[in-house]
Amino acid sequence: MARKSRRSTSESRSSPSTATLTLKDKKTLGSLKGVANDVADCAKTGRAPHLDVPSRSLSNVKFNKSRGFLEMGSGKNRRELFNLSQAKAYMQTLLVGSGCKRLIEQGKTTSLRGIYYMLKHSIEGTKEETFDDQEDSDTIIEDVEVTLAALREELHVYASNRGNLVGPLVLNDSGDEIDCTRMGSAGYSIPSIVEPEVIEFKKCTARFILHVEKDTVWRRFSEDKFWLKHNCVVSHGAGQPPRGVRRMLHRMHNELKLPVYCLLDNDPWGYYIYSVIKQGSINLAFESARMGIPDCRYIGLRSKDFERCQLSNSVKINLNDTDVKRAKQIAEYPWFKGKKAWQKEIELMLKNGFKLEVESLISKDISYVTETYVPERLEEKDWLD
Amino acid sequence: MSKSATRKTRLHSDEVEVDEEPIAVEADSEAFDASTNGHAANGKSRRRATAQSMAAGQRDISVSEFFAKNRHLLGFDNPRKALLTTVKEAVDNSLDACEEAGILPEIWVHIEATGPNRFKVGVQDNGPGIVKAQIPNIFGKLLYGSKFHRLRMSRGQQGIGISAAGMYGVLTTGKPVKVISRIGARKPAHYFEIQIDTKKNKAEILNGGGDGVDIPPGDSGKKMIEKHGIEWIETDHGTRVTIELEAKYQRGRCSVDDYLEQTAIANPHVTVHYLDPDGSTHDYPRAAQTLPPEPKEIKPHPYGVELGRLMTMLKSVKPCTISAFLCDNFSRVSGSVARRICETAKVSTRASTTKIGRHEADALYQAIQNTRIAAPATDCISPIGEQLLLKGLHHVVPAEFYVAATRPPSVYRGNPFLVEAALAYGGTSASVRIPLETLREMLAESDARTLRQFLMNGFSGVGSDATEKILTEAELGNRVSPGKLKKDEIAKLHEAMRSVNLEEGQTMNVLRYANRVPLQFQPGACAITQSIMGTNWRSYGLTQSRGSLPSGPVTIFVHVASVWVPFTSESKEAVASYPEIQKEIRLALQAVGRKLAMYVRRRQKVKQEGERRNIFLRYLGEVATAVHEISGADKKKLYDQLLKVAKRKTAQADIKFDEDGNPILEEEATEDFGDNVLIVVPGAPAS
Repeated sequence: MARKSRRSTSESRSSPSTATLTLKDKKTLGSLKGVANDVADCAKTGRAPHLDVPSRSLSNVKFNKSRGFLEMGSGKNRRELFNLSQAKAYMQTLLVGSGCKRLIEQGKTTSLRGIYYMLKHSIEGTKEETFDDQEDSDTIIEDVEVTLAALREELHVYASNRGNLVGPLVLNDSGDEIDCTRMGSAGYSIPSIVEPEVIEFKKCTARFILHVEKDTVWRRFSEDKFWLKHNCVVSHGAGQPPRGVRRMLHRMHNELKLPVYCLLDNDPWGYYIYSVIKQGSINLAFESARMGIPDCRYIGLRSKDFERCQLSNSVKINLNDTDVKRAKQIAEYPWFKGKKAWQKEIELMLKNGFKLEVESLISKDISYVTETYVPERLEEKDWLD
Repeated sequence: MSKSATRKTRLHSDEVEVDEEPIAVEADSEAFDASTNGHAANGKSRRRATAQSMAAGQRDISVSEFFAKNRHLLGFDNPRKALLTTVKEAVDNSLDACEEAGILPEIWVHIEATGPNRFKVGVQDNGPGIVKAQIPNIFGKLLYGSKFHRLRMSRGQQGIGISAAGMYGVLTTGKPVKVISRIGARKPAHYFEIQIDTKKNKAEILNGGGDGVDIPPGDSGKKMIEKHGIEWIETDHGTRVTIELEAKYQRGRCSVDDYLEQTAIANPHVTVHYLDPDGSTHDYPRAAQTLPPEPKEIKPHPYGVELGRLMTMLKSVKPCTISAFLCDNFSRVSGSVARRICETAKVSTRASTTKIGRHEADALYQAIQNTRIAAPATDCISPIGEQLLLKGLHHVVPAEFYVAATRPPSVYRGNPFLVEAALAYGGTSASVRIPLETLREMLAESDARTLRQFLMNGFSGVGSDATEKILTEAELGNRVSPGKLKKDEIAKLHEAMRSVNLEEGQTMNVLRYANRVPLQFQPGACAITQSIMGTNWRSYGLTQSRGSLPSGPVTIFVHVASVWVPFTSESKEAVASYPEIQKEIRLALQAVGRKLAMYVRRRQKVKQEGERRNIFLRYLGEVATAVHEISGADKKKLYDQLLKVAKRKTAQADIKFDEDGNPILEEEATEDFGDNVLIVVPGAPAS
């Protein structure tokens, strides 16, 4: 039972030990057993077993105005074993359940890809595979998360690292003390699971967090030592930030009381990234409470920046049809709908007919964004909320 | 002994004569050339020949000479086809004779190789026999027979076939046609060795001093038969014809084997014993113990008679009034109809036939076309019948589903005719069932240049797609010569032929018949093939690309029966496309197609149901294992319980499914196919 892994030093303190299950693990195992027992009960009494999986779609998402983030509604999709189109998904859901149970009991974690390989095998007597590709298992894992109301880390599954940060922050990551000012040019890579069992904040002198969209922009800030000059943490999420990054921002914001500012592209995707950081995503609405940062602010780029910064025509990227469609869709989301400033912003972008990437500021000067653009915005307190 | 010696010498001289004959003609033409050249050289005249010199070459052409030169018209274009045509003509005659005499036919077919590319074909029946005087005429004279002048449904029509086969045999091997026939147990058997005199279109009898030999009944006769080496299987009555000819024996499509098999389908009342050149016997026992009803002879229908024929008839009959002439010589012409015809033609009903000139005859002809006359009586045609068709097809073609349809008789050009169609669906193709040994023999015999050709031509139902699949599976090239395959390659090919699923690439196998005789050549020119290709089989559950035969494991049988089947040529290989005939064929095809569609749909439904259940069953094991891993529940028990639920669930679904489209329960559904359908459960003993 008590198989010790190489990371035993950290596990003894922060991670669930193989011998003793944490309270969370016990809770997760309990709900897994509940699902299994339901199946057994149904079989015994001759009923067709089914699972009720909360629906992860826009129609089942509500914007909680007073709390400022998205919440999942009560809508559920019934998944039946004896339904031709659902039989396989049902089987896969239980399979993922059994895989997670094994991981929890052995006190190990694995990647999304890992669990795909762990559970992939051909069904006895046929050439059919349980999972055809990783996308299959990824969505099923999310289904299991919402069905059991357990988080991915509680199922001992993690995603690959994406996103980095730099700044005056000292933390303990699985037993290793890390000074985020001294992580070299690449910065500190934010892990997929950043729960207190894994990451503990030790010391922080930063005054705010600047979250940028992409690695390339982040490099500019890191190289120019923006974080040193302005005493802040600079992070990026490689586009749409993964859960690890969002949870990290959430924890820093709430535990270290740091305000969050976002510097994103001036296009529909940039707007949506902001809204995901602020209110949570539609797909993972059930996690908004522990990830959403309703107070975070959008400092740029703005639709008016083309004129304000006197950019050249050559940096314009024309909006295509999908961009226009997406922009209109975003303007209709309830969490944008009620905000006049945002409606104006989107309107102006559509009127401009082009989008602007953060990198376009480089046409002014290589360090224009770090030396002029961001400091000015912060000074003027010119941002969108 | 002395007799046979004389025969040999005489035969030799005949042989020479036969060979010389075409040379003589050529010599004539050379003579012309010489004379014309002479004229040209003189420069006196540009004329190459004069009327007088041309007259020297103008003479009668005997039918025999004509057909000896144009043997392809009769189906003797190549050695392989010659063998088949010979067997076919002999068997057709035998069957016609037996049926006319009301005897259940039993046919013996012997083929024996006598040398390279030489075969001896012997066909014997248990028919009524032939009287002595007629034997030489029937077998030694072209266009001699009983069937040409009457309108009655029979296999033979013209009286060319068997004598042409004999002629071909004499031409290619020099051996005479041997005929032995007996008309009763107490009567002597007559034995003739005949050859046809092509110039005179007359039989020449070689044995018994030009008179044939009588073999007395009883033991003395038996001894005599043995002594002279005459081939004869002892029966009370019957005829045997033996022809030696240059030929090529080959199995597969369009072979003698194929022909006999197809004959057995359309003639379930016939027993055939077949001894092939390799010495193995194939028996096709009869599936029905009753003869088909006797077809009646009818008089011609007025609509089917052309002006020339009408005039000839007027001349040849005993003088009488025109009204009596019409009533007596045509079917469906009553006194009042005759009067109406005469009124329209403005000819007196009492006018004598002798007084009718060309002008009046023309008026009569036009009047006939413009007068409403009832369609001819159709009881002159005897169909095979749906039940016997099913039996026959089931006997020979292994399949799962059989359906047959017999159309009511109809009329073309005044000739009554009738179309029958039957269809066998499912089952395995011949290429799957073939034993390794036979395949090896077929490969050795084949004259196909490539393996691809061999597969496509040698096996019914193997199309180009299927060939592709088989060859890929066997890892053999397209262009490999079938004769050069090594032993292990043959084994590989055999394995591939067995294992490849041909259902998709298989093209429909078409069996065409006219008056119960299988048609094996010129499928493209035949009204039957054209009608099949023109029918939309997609709506009957088969796949079909535009303008081609449908594909699928299907054998279709189409029989056109008529007092006069319109063939496209004398070799009787294809039915001519009269619109009336095509329409009837189409209707018959549609009738069987509708039943096929019902079956295919039901089969698909059953398959879908099976698949539904399978999908659940497939996942149950995984679910039970997962649950066991999570909660430690008993895996086996859980699986069984889930299985029970699954069965109940899908059973409910079955009923629902039926209620949607078809409120009848499975068990009863079989009956609503009708009685012209036969369904064979695979694996169950044949009914």
